[in-house]
Amino acid sequence: MSELIYNFAVWVDDTPWSAMLHESYYMYNWVESTHVLTLMISLGMLFLIDLRMLGWAFPDVPASKIADRLNIPMMVGFTVMFITGILLFYAVPVRSVQSVWFRIKMVLLVGCAINAYLFHKRMNESVSSWDNEAKAPQRIRNGAMLSLGFWTVVVICGRFIAYDWFDCDYPQSAFIEFVAGCVDGQTRF
Amino acid sequence: MPTSILGPYFRTIVTVSVIAAALVFSFTYARNGVYVEIQPLFEWMETTWFGYVGKTWGAAFATIQAGHLIGLAVLGGCVLVSDGRLLGVVLTDVPHRIVVDRADAVFRWALATLLVTGVFMACGVAMKIYYLPVYWYKMLGLACGILFHYCVRRPLVAHELGAINPIVLKMTAIASILVWFLVAATGRWIGFSG
Amino acid sequence: MNEENQSLTDGQNTGLKDAQTSALVAASAIIIFSAFYWFAQIQSVRELLELAYG
Repeated sequence: MSELIYNFAVWVDDTPWSAMLHESYYMYNWVESTHVLTLMISLGMLFLIDLRMLGWAFPDVPASKIADRLNIPMMVGFTVMFITGILLFYAVPVRSVQSVWFRIKMVLLVGCAINAYLFHKRMNESVSSWDNEAKAPQRIRNGAMLSLGFWTVVVICGRFIAYDWFDCDYPQSAFIEFVAGCVDGQTRF
Repeated sequence: MPTSILGPYFRTIVTVSVIAAALVFSFTYARNGVYVEIQPLFEWMETTWFGYVGKTWGAAFATIQAGHLIGLAVLGGCVLVSDGRLLGVVLTDVPHRIVVDRADAVFRWALATLLVTGVFMACGVAMKIYYLPVYWYKMLGLACGILFHYCVRRPLVAHELGAINPIVLKMTAIASILVWFLVAATGRWIGFSG
Repeated sequence: MNEENQSLTDGQNTGLKDAQTSALVAASAIIIFSAFYWFAQIQSVRELLELAYG
């Protein structure tokens, strides 16, 4: 499985646009800056929604209204982050795919998506009974806390990707080599 | 009704004076004098506990930086919701007083987080940022943003929205978004410099 | 009583005018500075790109 992923990453790395993006004077920096700055839109809206559910922000605005109105700018922000994230991966595919932090981030993003789906489902089923309450019911608050926790770790892992402590081109323990998917005798890093 | 010593346009006179003083400071040798005087402060910052931790453990620095990013995200969200309400694009069916006041409450916490994590990070790379022009642009933007938010924007939106000139309201909202975006962008720039 | 109310309203109007004028001045300064700053940044990026790529 690791070898399959590595071979796919090498194939992506060999595409001309990948090299162009990686070696460009400014384009990679602009893509990365857009990815980081769009946090203000996507995560900003998401955190405000979660804080509302916990009763820590906008307690006198109906919860469904906050969730509804801030959803669109949040989704616009996430779309931009998704596109820039793919471009960042596309520029440096081998190192990204073998980064422990990148892998944890991807797993957590799936977790965030599942949590968001369950959160919205539960909210839509029950919101009429607690919409004007300052705090949402316990189950919804749990979802909001999980969301805040997951996204905080996503941001931390995203920041840690830049560090080379667990990179495959340095000697690593067997556990790290397994988690990172290092391939014996690999020549591309 | 007692009036201030500067008359009924006290806030305007102070605003114009601060802008003029900032321009005079920026374009004269006064800036160079202050720049040289504060170098010992930045040298001292690197010797503090924050500086030691930031330099020694990259993981600690990166974690605090992630906290800085989360503060930035929340602050950005507050600014976009609050100024979006003033521009009439977000939460338009909620009274502006509620949106602006509640967003302000969260803004305060986000700003506090940014300042605390920012000081920690600055101590870790004090001499590097001292020589970086983009860091000083960020500090200018930050000072401008804080002063604008608390001394200009808040007193303006304390009045009824309907009574405020719509052009002035929109310019205020746009300026607020611009100044915080400038702070965020120059902050990102620091990471690419040096 | 009416004079007091009138004086209060006048005071509020003056307060609003003061707040509006200071907001106009400050917002204009920020928008003009941002325009100059970003123009200068984009110019320097364009020059560097021309230097790098011809």
